[in-house]
Amino acid sequence: MSSIEAVSPRPTPILLDCDPGHDDAIAIVMAHRSKAIDLLGITVTCGNAELDKAVSNTLRILEFIGAEDVPVAAGCYRPLARPLVLGTADGPSGLEGSPYLPPATKKVEPLHAVDFIAKTLREQDEPLRIVATGPLCNLGLFVLKYPDLLPKIKDITWMGGVFWRKSEFITPTEFNAFCDPEALRIVLDSGVPLTMVGLDVTMQVLVEAPQFVEFEKIDTELGHVVLDWLRFYEKLHRGQMGVGGALHDPLALALIIDPTLVRTRPAHIGVDLGGTYTFGATVADFWNERQLPANAQIAKEVDADRFFELLYSLLRD
Amino acid sequence: MERIILDVDSAGDDILAVLFAAVSPSIKLEGVTTCTGAAGPIEQVTNVVLNTLALAGRTDIPVAKGAWRPIVGNSKADMEAPVHFEKRLVARFGDRLKMFNPPAPTPTTKPIDRHAVDFILDTVLASPGEITLVATGPMTNLAMAFLQDERLAKAVKRLVLLGGNFVTPGNMTPLSEYNIWADAEAARVVLNQDVDKILVPLDVCEDNRAAASMLTRDDLADLQGAGDHPVLKMLQASFPIYIDIWREFFDLVGFPMDDIITVALAFDPTLCTMTEPVFVDVVLDGRLARGQTVAWRGRQLLPGGGAKTTRICTDIDGRRFMKLFKETIVRYQSSAA
Repeated sequence: MSSIEAVSPRPTPILLDCDPGHDDAIAIVMAHRSKAIDLLGITVTCGNAELDKAVSNTLRILEFIGAEDVPVAAGCYRPLARPLVLGTADGPSGLEGSPYLPPATKKVEPLHAVDFIAKTLREQDEPLRIVATGPLCNLGLFVLKYPDLLPKIKDITWMGGVFWRKSEFITPTEFNAFCDPEALRIVLDSGVPLTMVGLDVTMQVLVEAPQFVEFEKIDTELGHVVLDWLRFYEKLHRGQMGVGGALHDPLALALIIDPTLVRTRPAHIGVDLGGTYTFGATVADFWNERQLPANAQIAKEVDADRFFELLYSLLRD
Repeated sequence: MERIILDVDSAGDDILAVLFAAVSPSIKLEGVTTCTGAAGPIEQVTNVVLNTLALAGRTDIPVAKGAWRPIVGNSKADMEAPVHFEKRLVARFGDRLKMFNPPAPTPTTKPIDRHAVDFILDTVLASPGEITLVATGPMTNLAMAFLQDERLAKAVKRLVLLGGNFVTPGNMTPLSEYNIWADAEAARVVLNQDVDKILVPLDVCEDNRAAASMLTRDDLADLQGAGDHPVLKMLQASFPIYIDIWREFFDLVGFPMDDIITVALAFDPTLCTMTEPVFVDVVLDGRLARGQTVAWRGRQLLPGGGAKTTRICTDIDGRRFMKLFKETIVRYQSSAA
């Protein structure tokens, strides 16, 4: 048990839906190493990379960290209603910066991600928590296909959207929402409790010089690989946005371990499907002008220092 | 024999389409999949199909329940709007309306324990190049199947799709037809696929230019002496109200046979005159134009378009179709006798 992690009677079983992706990769590492989490499986979607690359990255990461036993199911190869636009934050392979990670021998499950989610939910006695760190293609298709199983999902914690716009980084849209806004609309309408960890919050969890000093101290094989990922990831962030690498997906995952890392506020969220520059914009109705019940908890403030302490400890221990 | 899977939303003519496909000597009906649409929630739609196959004596044909909602759909106000239409019908037809999409009694058979999407994928992938998918409702199930498994596009023989309008005004807005409008995103996913397709728009069904293909009271009279098989009795009992509604409210000479025409094209494409293969897209933006089908014909200055794989029906040999329908449906009597 890590000294940072809260004592919990038993680990929380979760499913992780992701599109690795450097920050997804770190989220996978955290989920595997945390004693507070029982990672039942990973479903993969297109997003940061094409589906086959994202799947290959997932398998390589899992083998490298000795988590071959975690089942992986490949999901959607394209968003539900739009052509795929790839993310740009992770390089062409989706995981540039670690070419020495060997190709995986591990195979994917013979089930599509949505069917794998259905199977896993049916096997659980209790409703299951899902963490999603990519476009919601898989979860959107799941809601369309398995409405009867929605009560078996306890909640979804999703990295996506942008709400508060108080950081200097101002954009009406965040990639995961922009990539498949129709899927997001479906998930928002599904009635499943949703926690949204938006870009404005994750852009406060930055790997800058002080954090690099700490990561460099972690002198393990895993620590070195994570450092290489972060160095590559930082270059792209620095070039495009002028800041260090933001740990978007790891923050969403970390909320399973410690929900007090962020403050949240409930609201009804709509997602814009039209617009010239604004399709995929997540619009929170904090003043309740729409007179609709809240469909999400929105992360508002984050304690970045405590997040990094948790991450260092998980990599060290 | 054409091997087909029929995907329906169980409005009145879907019932005839299921009956027609189940008894046609030219069709091997692999299964029927259901989709939320004109007849209401997925349970009602599925029950209607199960009851219809029981009536046909074909409970051996698997029924798979499908999509419960469209990918995006339309505003609540628009979805509830047809209520006013029904109020007008009640005022005009009173008790006779009980024969129009009545709540389905609980079926004695069950759908298979597989989602429509899985039934479609498993069946098509097991027989590459052999299965024709015929959809007569919103295209949600087909879209989900294409989204779930990329291999479907290569493995399916052909799609025969009911939807859209190019000449005839739309029936939801002046520009858009119900099946496309009800799940415009799904229709776009399906119509954009690089797969051989026949598209059956309103132009060849719900337009008096296609009058000879519509079911009239004369046609019912022709069938009256054909026998007392439950299917034929149901036809005589249920369809006068359909004929009257479409005459009174849509100014058509009879009940349009959209879905049966679509099924028949799966084995006899010569029933309709068609365009060369073109690319067909669907308008997703806006309100009035949402769901409009757009055929890429002619020459345009701006780049655009996609795979030219859809033939659009432009005319129908209505007499030959109606003759085919009547000859096929009386087989319930002759094969039972």
